Amino acid sequence: MGPPEPGATPAATTAAVGVAGLLGRPYKTIRLEWTSDLRLLRVRMCVRPIQCYSLAAMGELKQMLDDISANPGLVRHFVMTSDVPQVFNFGGDLALFVLLVRAGDIESLELYGRRCVDLVWWMENAANLGIHTTVLAQGDTLGGGLESVLPFHKVIFERGAQAGFPEVLFNLFPGMGAWDFTIRKAGFAVANEMILSGRLYTAEELQYRRLVDVVAEPGEGEATLDRVVREVDPRHRGTIAALRAQRIAAPVRHESLMQIVKLWADSAMGLTDRDLRLMERLARAQARKAGGAEEGAVEEIKRLELENAWGDRRSGFERRAAGGSDRRMRG
Amino acid sequence: MSMFFADLVGRTDEDRRAFETHPVVLDAVAHGMTVERYRALLLELYHVVWHFNPVCAAAASRMGTPAHEPQQAIRHFLYEHMHEETGHETWVLNDLEAIGVPPAQARAHQPTVHTLSLNGYNYWAADRRHPCSVLGMLYALEVVASVYGGPFASAIRESLLLEGDHGVSFIDSHATMDAKHMAELRQVLNQVREEAAQAAIVESVRVNFHHFTRIVEGV
Repeated sequence: MGPPEPGATPAATTAAVGVAGLLGRPYKTIRLEWTSDLRLLRVRMCVRPIQCYSLAAMGELKQMLDDISANPGLVRHFVMTSDVPQVFNFGGDLALFVLLVRAGDIESLELYGRRCVDLVWWMENAANLGIHTTVLAQGDTLGGGLESVLPFHKVIFERGAQAGFPEVLFNLFPGMGAWDFTIRKAGFAVANEMILSGRLYTAEELQYRRLVDVVAEPGEGEATLDRVVREVDPRHRGTIAALRAQRIAAPVRHESLMQIVKLWADSAMGLTDRDLRLMERLARAQARKAGGAEEGAVEEIKRLELENAWGDRRSGFERRAAGGSDRRMRG
Repeated sequence: MSMFFADLVGRTDEDRRAFETHPVVLDAVAHGMTVERYRALLLELYHVVWHFNPVCAAAASRMGTPAHEPQQAIRHFLYEHMHEETGHETWVLNDLEAIGVPPAQARAHQPTVHTLSLNGYNYWAADRRHPCSVLGMLYALEVVASVYGGPFASAIRESLLLEGDHGVSFIDSHATMDAKHMAELRQVLNQVREEAAQAAIVESVRVNFHHFTRIVEGV
């Protein structure tokens, strides 16, 4: 056995036994709750103050999922929510990306990506462990945050939550499952539109595109979550069997996820200083929201979209003004 | 076998995040600072930057002997690095002057205990802990500069209505310059094989992030 991977949870040597073992680990970025009548394990993400997939959070999630896998039959329902108001998850740790890109450390970027894939791959295979998965997003769900909800069996969004893949705005793309899972759930055209536009979508727009199963009214997410789980529970065995068959009929390949991670890391290494500055603008906006400001990353992304649109239009005007007619456009 | 740089990033990631997510740092990156607080920060930074090369020199002087120098590559890296950092304390003085602090006043400034602790630890670590500790200082300060320096400079520029790099030249230029330094530092760190050296570097990163956070918090 080699040395522990960077950021690995130090105590991750032996699997926890039973519910007490599962709940007994001293996690910092996740909180676990157990509902015994449903055999439901709920994970509340709380990577404060900026809710993202930090190395520590991913290490703890991996540990918790390994514990579940080591106790087959114990968990019937797995639920994920956020404890940070108005934010489900901002996705990747942008400051860490900037650090690794500036250091030229492609191996660590790939390692980060592979860890993300480990998590979505576990979700993808949860039905094989007899586990039904449900996620509730009550706030901003960006980039890797959105990728992480797509493999769940039931996706609930509160009206008012917004989501999207903004990576293209800083010349990157979402590389940890966005393509595979969006194509499977919503089709190629929707995946193309969402990933290549970088725009944000409302809960209703995501439901229309079949990426969200249920839209709850603001403040009613918890009740909806409870209702959804209790609807599934009496039909759990059949649902799980059907979901296993669904994954066979429309499989997502691990090999494809890994290839895309490699491509993602390669692309990240090509980011320019301007791209990194845009990424830092988003990180600054996250910091503002974490500090209690009304506006955060979502508003910053909208500003970036507008700037891009105006930039495109202006460059068009400039071409025409300079007499450099674009013949291809005129036909 | 994993490379030491990747290992270091992972083992100190929570220390980096503790700096990044400290309420005062979050607020400074998001909204900038008042001119009084920015002056106070630059005055502290002047004393950090002034000691940067002497700490590197102290570490280099302890890296073996002509007969036995297992860290020759690191010693040579430090020489190059010191050359590139030479005179940067003057940039801080220029920025201070741009926001109303004369150089004489900056030189006479008595640093806070947090700055003294940071500098004191770095000299002690180079002397008594392990000469490679200096790489931990470099890593922490370059992460601060290259990852957070850009957004912080933008925030300061907006909050104090500064033009161009007027008053933020040190922080803004290091945000870009230290990207190159970071890539070079990664290559050097990946050459560190000795466990004692690695442990000293990890400790140094933690201490430097901790003290630097206290410095920002203190202004």
